[in-house]
Amino acid sequence: MYTYELDEEKVFNSGHNACPGCGEALAVRYVLNTMGPKTIGVVPPSCIAIICGPQPYSSMRIPVYQTTLEASAASAAGISRALKRQGKYDVNVLAMAGDGGTYDIGFQALSGAAERNEDMVYVCLDNEGYMNTGAQKSSSTPYLAVTSSTPGGKPSDKKDIAEIMAAHRIPYVATATVGYPDDLARKVAKARDMEGMRFIVVLTPCLDGWGVADDGAVRVSRLAVDTGFFPLYEVEDGERYTINHGPKGIPVERYLEQQKRYRHLDEEQVKEIQAGVDHRWRLLQARVEVAEGHAKAGPRTTNRMRGECT
Amino acid sequence: MSEVTRRPTAGPAAASPGEVPTIWTTGWTDVFNTGTWRAATPIHEWRPSPCHADCPIGNAIPGWIAHIAEGAFKEAWLSLVETNPFPAVTGRVCHHPCEGHCNREVIETVVGINGLEHFLGDRALEEGWALPAPGEPQGRRVAVVGGGPAGLSCAYHLRRLGYDVTVFEARDELGGLLRYGIPEYRLAARVVDAEISRLLDMGIEVRTGAGVADRAALEGLEEEFDVVFLAVGAQQAKTLRYLEEGAGAGRVLDGLEYLRRCTEGVARDLGGRMTVIGGGSAAMDVARSARRLGHQVTVVALEARAAMPAQPEEIEQALEEGVALFDGAMVAALTAGADGGLTLRCVKVTLDPGAPAGELRPVPVEGGEFAVAADVIVTAIGQDPDLAAFGDAFGGGLTVERALLVVDPTTFVTTRAGVFAGGDVACADRFVSEAIGAGRRAAFSIAEYLSHPAAVIPGRPALEDAVNRKEVNPFYFDVAERRERVVAPATERLHSFAEMISAYSTEDAGAEAGRCMSCGICVECDNCFVFCPDMAVQKDASRAGAEDASRVGAEGGAAAEAAAAVAGDPATEPAAAANRVAAAGRVAAAVAHAPGAPPGSGPFYFVLDQYCKGCGLCVTECPRGAVRLEEVNL
Amino acid sequence: MSATATPPRNSPPANEVQMADDVRMLLTGNHAVSYGAMRARPQVVPIYPITPQTPIAEKISDLQLAGDFDVDLMTAESEHSAMSACITASLTGVRVFTATASQGLMLMHEMLHYASGARAPIVMVNVNRTIGSPWGFWPDQTDSLAQRDTGWIQYYTENGQESLDTVIQAFKVAEEVLLPAMVIHEAFYISHALEPVTVPSQERVDAYLPPFDPPHKLDTEIGESWGNVVNQDMFYRHRKDLGAAMDRVLEASVRADAEYKDTMGRGYGILEKYRTEDADLLIVAFGAMVGTARVAVDMLRAAGKAVGLLKIKLFRPFPIDAVRAAVAGVPRLVVMERNFSPGGGGVLHQELKAALYGMPDPPAVHGYLAGVGGVNVSPKKMVELAEKALTDEPVPGSVWQR
Repeated sequence: MYTYELDEEKVFNSGHNACPGCGEALAVRYVLNTMGPKTIGVVPPSCIAIICGPQPYSSMRIPVYQTTLEASAASAAGISRALKRQGKYDVNVLAMAGDGGTYDIGFQALSGAAERNEDMVYVCLDNEGYMNTGAQKSSSTPYLAVTSSTPGGKPSDKKDIAEIMAAHRIPYVATATVGYPDDLARKVAKARDMEGMRFIVVLTPCLDGWGVADDGAVRVSRLAVDTGFFPLYEVEDGERYTINHGPKGIPVERYLEQQKRYRHLDEEQVKEIQAGVDHRWRLLQARVEVAEGHAKAGPRTTNRMRGECT
Repeated sequence: MSEVTRRPTAGPAAASPGEVPTIWTTGWTDVFNTGTWRAATPIHEWRPSPCHADCPIGNAIPGWIAHIAEGAFKEAWLSLVETNPFPAVTGRVCHHPCEGHCNREVIETVVGINGLEHFLGDRALEEGWALPAPGEPQGRRVAVVGGGPAGLSCAYHLRRLGYDVTVFEARDELGGLLRYGIPEYRLAARVVDAEISRLLDMGIEVRTGAGVADRAALEGLEEEFDVVFLAVGAQQAKTLRYLEEGAGAGRVLDGLEYLRRCTEGVARDLGGRMTVIGGGSAAMDVARSARRLGHQVTVVALEARAAMPAQPEEIEQALEEGVALFDGAMVAALTAGADGGLTLRCVKVTLDPGAPAGELRPVPVEGGEFAVAADVIVTAIGQDPDLAAFGDAFGGGLTVERALLVVDPTTFVTTRAGVFAGGDVACADRFVSEAIGAGRRAAFSIAEYLSHPAAVIPGRPALEDAVNRKEVNPFYFDVAERRERVVAPATERLHSFAEMISAYSTEDAGAEAGRCMSCGICVECDNCFVFCPDMAVQKDASRAGAEDASRVGAEGGAAAEAAAAVAGDPATEPAAAANRVAAAGRVAAAVAHAPGAPPGSGPFYFVLDQYCKGCGLCVTECPRGAVRLEEVNL
Repeated sequence: MSATATPPRNSPPANEVQMADDVRMLLTGNHAVSYGAMRARPQVVPIYPITPQTPIAEKISDLQLAGDFDVDLMTAESEHSAMSACITASLTGVRVFTATASQGLMLMHEMLHYASGARAPIVMVNVNRTIGSPWGFWPDQTDSLAQRDTGWIQYYTENGQESLDTVIQAFKVAEEVLLPAMVIHEAFYISHALEPVTVPSQERVDAYLPPFDPPHKLDTEIGESWGNVVNQDMFYRHRKDLGAAMDRVLEASVRADAEYKDTMGRGYGILEKYRTEDADLLIVAFGAMVGTARVAVDMLRAAGKAVGLLKIKLFRPFPIDAVRAAVAGVPRLVVMERNFSPGGGGVLHQELKAALYGMPDPPAVHGYLAGVGGVNVSPKKMVELAEKALTDEPVPGSVWQR
């Protein structure tokens, strides 16, 4: 039987304002409670900012700075650099942004921080759209998903942020989801104990935005993994790929049918999405093979990003 | 994290007294009552598993299976004998309705509960484990009339409750149907002997060859004992009179008689060809015993094969052993055969679905006539209690209806004060486990009648209250094929009355027990705790152990601790303290209602009303339906 | 950086500023800023290059490489990110400096509000440059004036020495009132003009400017968070608090300048009156034009014209009382300024008129848009304009003059 062994510290607090059953709140729990109290957070406008709590109360028992939507990575860099100047090398810096603040408007700051290999853990809580403003599409919204700005279904594909970040050759990139909280916590812990830029994208179902039942966040995010829609994997130094959880032979339709945003799909469209899922899975496996080939070829010459901030 | 030390508010965030600073937070959101959003509340509680609901003995099956999975066989057995003192017997012969609604079906196949019981029963006999000691002496005496499964089960539970019990058995040996009605290859006499002997070790007096045959005898018992429990079984075989006339005269035997002869080793030469009439276990037993004695056997059963009361595997094995089966058929008439035998004129039938419950009303199928040749006919179509044989003995206040003693179905009280009855004498469900279950419930009823301070008649959970297939979460269970007991090949079986089914190996038992999903019984897997986005599910600190306070986990406490918390808590946290009290109350309530819960245990988790938003994630992610969502009454 | 004990290769020659005493150096205005910043000991400098600010960043880089300036220089990928990092670094409790110009300042605009709202005492130098479009590189104050509502203190300086000194003073004031401060000088006229500049000794600056120790910060031992959503009442009070802090800048600036003068021997005030005795007319100016105006005033006085100069150094907060006192009894003022707010005119012109409204016997105020876009305004031209202002009747709006 599958059981979870999770070691949490008390950082995330009850009484926050997330919707009942919120997948993102669950992700925040494992991100914060794994990062631990020796952490300073940065949060841009997002559902996470709402979860943070209204002044003068905070749901997070760490200092958190709420920045602008496009500035998370830069704001986190400012903290990280100030901490080092203060000699506080044992304090973690954690940015927690949504997909809008990561894939879209926050991307420049994120890419810049990655290039400089800023010392932070950047967690993108990806609910595939601007959910806090009423479910508009973002560049993370998947193909054909209905949002309030794509009522006929999104005509373009979801940006592959994990691959983009891996291409920055930062020390650590991972995908995770709340359906696999142990995997999520392990990745956060691993990232926490590394140095330089670490990036984790966490798929967090938005019950309202996706049209999922109150008790469905875990089920749906698990299906995202088990159908291969959102495989869980890690990339170290931009080249060493490890797949943690991949498709289990469940058709993607099982995932789509749980969500109102896909209710309009016809049979052909479902097939098209399945084909895309299959194709991306093959590509990912190919990357793993390439990485394994390199490993066999001999001692690894470093591909690692050098840091500006030391 | 230690509570942060906060400097006095100064600088730009300084506010007038009573004013909230406009920037820089000063506290935590746990002051908010987000629980008010809730429309439903999760309740942690022991819910019956379907196997438990289906068990005629009322056995809380997942509990002892969990012990087997841990390798704690003695604990498992002790848990099992809380309800059933004959696991080695029932592990062999129970019709195991427990497997009928097993939720494991959603993964692959039902759990081999009967096999696990078989394993545990045998392990106990091998190890010589003793049954629990009798309870505090009550100084009252109960006479149990009938040493079959119902009587012995009742004796067992009464003894455990502290009563002095004397069993009166008409025959020379105890066991009743177990000894005389089930062939050796299914239930070896040594098993019956061993389990009965272990039972008698509890200090039960036995008087064999001591049937209670008349009113005076009953009144004598009433004089000597505080209560009399009648469990004399159903000894009177039902007959088909039309077969015994004419050609059939002298060639028709009843099944009970035949099996008794087999058991006593005095089966005579009845002729080579036997036709057995009946579709139940007894019919199979007769047919298969006859095969072992070299008969050519044909079974004619009224029911279609799928509806036959015999267990599917019994039918399967009978066929393997060369028994010919005509199901959905009846013998319409009998004529003398040319070869000195009999010719059975049979016809295919269907059963009238409009017939009253419990009554079989066959409708012949047109053109379905066929003939079977036989030398002897054995009828195994059921038995009635032999009440007529007692004449007026039980007349005084006892009532008989439809060939059964009339009892209250819950209390087993007869219409005669101080006389209780149960088992086949009072019930038409003719299964060993039904009798054991009736004996158990009757024992508690008797104890209640005798004003035992702790006796409560055990209820039997309803299947509709049990955890169903939609309430278990298959994600958490890996596919694991069911282990099967080894059955000797048919060729081997035909040469011997030796037991033909081997118990699980220790390894198989462990693996099979590991397949149990423990439906409705919290195993403290933490899923409800893990998946709460509001940290509203907490663990009982008193049982979580003294963990590092900075770790998420132990919170609040058990009832006493919560009560202390109310008294001692600073006024800043009254809501949290109240929550702890509410939670502790819920724990206590759950313990009180836990069917078969281990003593001293209680739900490990409780829900903080102040924060629970009622999303139901804990319910959905509970692998086994041990958390239920209840709508909030506004 | 502290870790870099030995100077790396390619470092500049052993540095000229490793000195215990003040030194006199020939520096551009931008380099003067870099030295001023170095003396203030900021620990983090997030910065992004833009003409004509780049010499500031370059010089800081050189000073860092040479081991003279122990600073974490964060080469951000945009001004927006640079300012974002400035804010959080400041809130984490370290002193922060940065510099920008023109479009860079425009890109920062959003974060400028965040900085003042966060009460982060960042000091930033802005080198005034035209804002596109069209593209240009010329001195023009419109970029910084467009930020006057962002809650930043604004100082306008007239030469490199003043810029250097003001950077140090700005930290003192900013950290006292917890507001960010902008020190502004103009492209090329100041940023790239070489002048002799006194760089004060580190000891003296240290004596003047104590280490930064804010009352609130992002610190895991304190646990306070910044920026959680507020209600209307809290926002109202927050803005009111910010306004009160801004009001305190007037007195704090005067005091900081006086202390500086005591320590370093140089002071500027929040405004300056130059040859204003018995004046018929005061030229009111800020920024680089002040230097030109001094020459023009000298020329006018030599010609017997009673014309003086009022230099506005502190523009935000606008020193209304000091300005009123300075112009009391003067019949005419002429604002000459290098900026333009379309639909409004010269920004100083508007601000000055607003400041004088309701004053008994107020002076007549001329507003001349002289030098917008970097057009040169020579002393001779300024004399001409002053003479015109002495005779013309003032009109309500600003008048284009070249």
